[in-house]
Amino acid sequence: MGTTFLPVASLVTGVGGRDGWMSVLPGFAVGIPYSLMILSLSEQYPRKNLLQISEAVFGKWIGKSLGFYYTLIVVYLGGLLLGQIGDIYQASTMPVTPLWVFFLGGIFLVLFLIKSGIEVFARFSEVVFPLIVIALLLNVGLSVPRIEQGELLPILSEGFKPIFLGATKVIPFVMTYMLFLAGIIAFLPTGKQELSQLKTGVWRIIFLVGILDTFVVLIQLLIFGPAETIRIVYGLLVLGKLVEVSRTVAGVESLFLGVWLSAAVIKIGSLFYAVIWGLESVFGLKGVNWRHAIAVVFLGIAFRFVRGPSLIIEIGLVDEYLIMPFVSLWIPILWGVSRWKRGAGI
Amino acid sequence: MRSWLKMIKELTIRPKGERKVRKSPSYSIDEDLKKPLSGQTVKEILSKSSDIVFREFFLQGKERIPCLLIVVDGLVDKNLLDEFVLKPLMVELVGHPELAKATLSNVIDITIQSLLPGVEIKKISEMKDAVSSILSGDSVIFFGDSSEAIVIGARGWAHRGVNEPIAESIVKGPHEGFAETLRINTSLLRRKIKHPSLRIISLKLGDMSNTDLVVTYIEKIASPDIVSEVLKRLAKIKMDSVIDVGYIEEMIEDNPYSPFPQIAYTERPDVLAGKLLEGKVGIIVDGTPIVLVVPAILTQFLNVNEDYYQRAMTAILSRFVRYVGAFVAVVAPSVYIAVTTFHQEIIPTDLLMSISAGRQGVPFPALLEAITMTVVLEILQEAGLRLPKPIGQTIGIVGALIIGDAAVNAGLVSPLMVIIIGLTAVASYAIPYYDLSLAVRLIRFPLMILAGILGFFGVAVGLYAIMIHLLGLRSFGVPYTSPIAPLRIRALLQDTFVRAPWWALKSRPQLMDVEEPRPNGKG
Repeated sequence: MGTTFLPVASLVTGVGGRDGWMSVLPGFAVGIPYSLMILSLSEQYPRKNLLQISEAVFGKWIGKSLGFYYTLIVVYLGGLLLGQIGDIYQASTMPVTPLWVFFLGGIFLVLFLIKSGIEVFARFSEVVFPLIVIALLLNVGLSVPRIEQGELLPILSEGFKPIFLGATKVIPFVMTYMLFLAGIIAFLPTGKQELSQLKTGVWRIIFLVGILDTFVVLIQLLIFGPAETIRIVYGLLVLGKLVEVSRTVAGVESLFLGVWLSAAVIKIGSLFYAVIWGLESVFGLKGVNWRHAIAVVFLGIAFRFVRGPSLIIEIGLVDEYLIMPFVSLWIPILWGVSRWKRGAGI
Repeated sequence: MRSWLKMIKELTIRPKGERKVRKSPSYSIDEDLKKPLSGQTVKEILSKSSDIVFREFFLQGKERIPCLLIVVDGLVDKNLLDEFVLKPLMVELVGHPELAKATLSNVIDITIQSLLPGVEIKKISEMKDAVSSILSGDSVIFFGDSSEAIVIGARGWAHRGVNEPIAESIVKGPHEGFAETLRINTSLLRRKIKHPSLRIISLKLGDMSNTDLVVTYIEKIASPDIVSEVLKRLAKIKMDSVIDVGYIEEMIEDNPYSPFPQIAYTERPDVLAGKLLEGKVGIIVDGTPIVLVVPAILTQFLNVNEDYYQRAMTAILSRFVRYVGAFVAVVAPSVYIAVTTFHQEIIPTDLLMSISAGRQGVPFPALLEAITMTVVLEILQEAGLRLPKPIGQTIGIVGALIIGDAAVNAGLVSPLMVIIIGLTAVASYAIPYYDLSLAVRLIRFPLMILAGILGFFGVAVGLYAIMIHLLGLRSFGVPYTSPIAPLRIRALLQDTFVRAPWWALKSRPQLMDVEEPRPNGKG
């Protein structure tokens, strides 16, 4: 789920118009076959991540090249997302606080989480996920009085094309998740029962996140209308600003950002792990010093990029042109070749 | 420089293997204890202490046998000793056919088997056992120059009775509490669990104090791994004395650098019995009414035994209030600082105007105001804690009312800040475990500083850092945040934030390996 719920409305409405909200769930559903392929590879090559499996299936040099590219894109995206923490906080609630404060706060949490180990990382996600869901539902629920039903109509006036176009904007998010799954499979249990539970879990989570994000897009469309939804990059935060409960609490945007921070930490943390696995698999580099080096690189990327729409555009470009084509080809080809090799007895 | 670094390392890093603390120096007595057992040697070792009583008498058997009884004055029941040991041996049994057969070589066996009626009588042949028994309150009789002796359990000393613990008082439920005597405590526990599977394993700790302690658990309910881990960690401790459970708590907990308590404690037999029935392990130490319970999880520190004695619905409400109280105690001052310093947009205009009016004329920033008030509160709490009760109450009134009121009137603090700090103090009292309450008091300060510098971003960073720390903690192998993470749905719904009715508590908590299902609960 990560941080998708902030920009998703603007992205899908940008290409899908008022019918963009219907593309979220199909977009997320694309993740199901990819997840199943990864789990199937994990069954075939227990305790190995996809980079190691690539080396085993394609040979050393192709495997290492894929690993190198994998490491580059995850390190770049991780740094950009760290930059997004500063960007969002500065743009919304704390405009005069220097950016480096947010970067340092974010990377501190990520490093602490990484130092605590993969088990704690999983537990952190387990605790934070319900908080995110509750915060989203509250934000959406408290905005209901501002709904204007007419904004949604007419439905499917341009056929199914907007849904297809919208889905192309959601798929990169799913592919980023696949990058993490590609590495973490080495830590997952490979027993028949556990794999079956994992497969069920993948179905459930993709549908849950898909439905939640659909609500998020829908509520923004119903309140802002398509034009404003496209214009406001972080529409959910603007919704938070509008909330007022019985003249007691107003503008819960800053509270909502607190919850969003945890999601951002999980996403950056997962990319951090991906970099660690990449460095280990490709160059054999591991240890605390290398983790600190990765943190410095993340900070460097976060500082390097200009703020505002350019950062969002940059993240979009990485998602769409670097991650999506790579993952959408790499995993099916790897899965296909490994199946063929097994069938052929090679 | 190197010696400084070595000293810092010694002070901050707990050794992994044997944990030696203030190991006692070697005395010549250590050599004496290796000698063969003899009454005269024991007398020489102990004769320099005025509280040791040496009673010499003769036993008229087949031959005249010189006897020496050694006890510690104040640790034995003199009436018991007179009536059931000395009087029979010296007066009543003179001429008894069994006694008439006694010689120096068989007198011990005859005395144990036929002459003395006590339950706790045994033969010893080691010098250290004799000295240790005498100093622990047992009575030891030596016969001539025999290398064996008799230990008679006739302990009796002035002790506190079974009273209700002040720190764990309840409205509904049993009102008895543990005392300072180990055997009283084990008997209180045994009265609650009358089942042969209740195990009580005796140990001794402390080279000088020779403190008795027991590890107790219920076989087939407690995880064998946890039991063996407890015994293993206790065996590693090498200290010269164990005066209280606090001495061993820090030596056996998983993460000594955490402010959060990882071992629970209780002064109530009913709580200990309840925890043992959940599969936990108790450590009872002689000389203190506090009993350690392991493993401990975070939510356990917010739940109390009375939850199980009340109706489920009222117990749920009580728990809800406690959890809210704990949350308020952690975040209230930092949220106030963040809102007034950075995020005024979160407050509706009318309320904002009222807060601004209250803060008008206050010369300090909210952070300084809050930290000063919190420090004053801490001083008041610390001052009131160890004073006699009436003075303690006066301190509370002087501190909270007079100083608070004067500070507001002088324009040094805003009225709302006094309310927030007061609310925080009251909320922290809703935390039933003192150790957790202390941890909350400790983490409040960094959160306030983060809120004052970085607003809600700082509070969020602080809270997530605490969360990550908590998620990484373990208590004897059990994740500290269980059953929230790792998620155990059944335990979470049965007995964590809520307490299901007794008829629905069909299984024991899934915090550890439990081999036997809980038999109660309707089908």
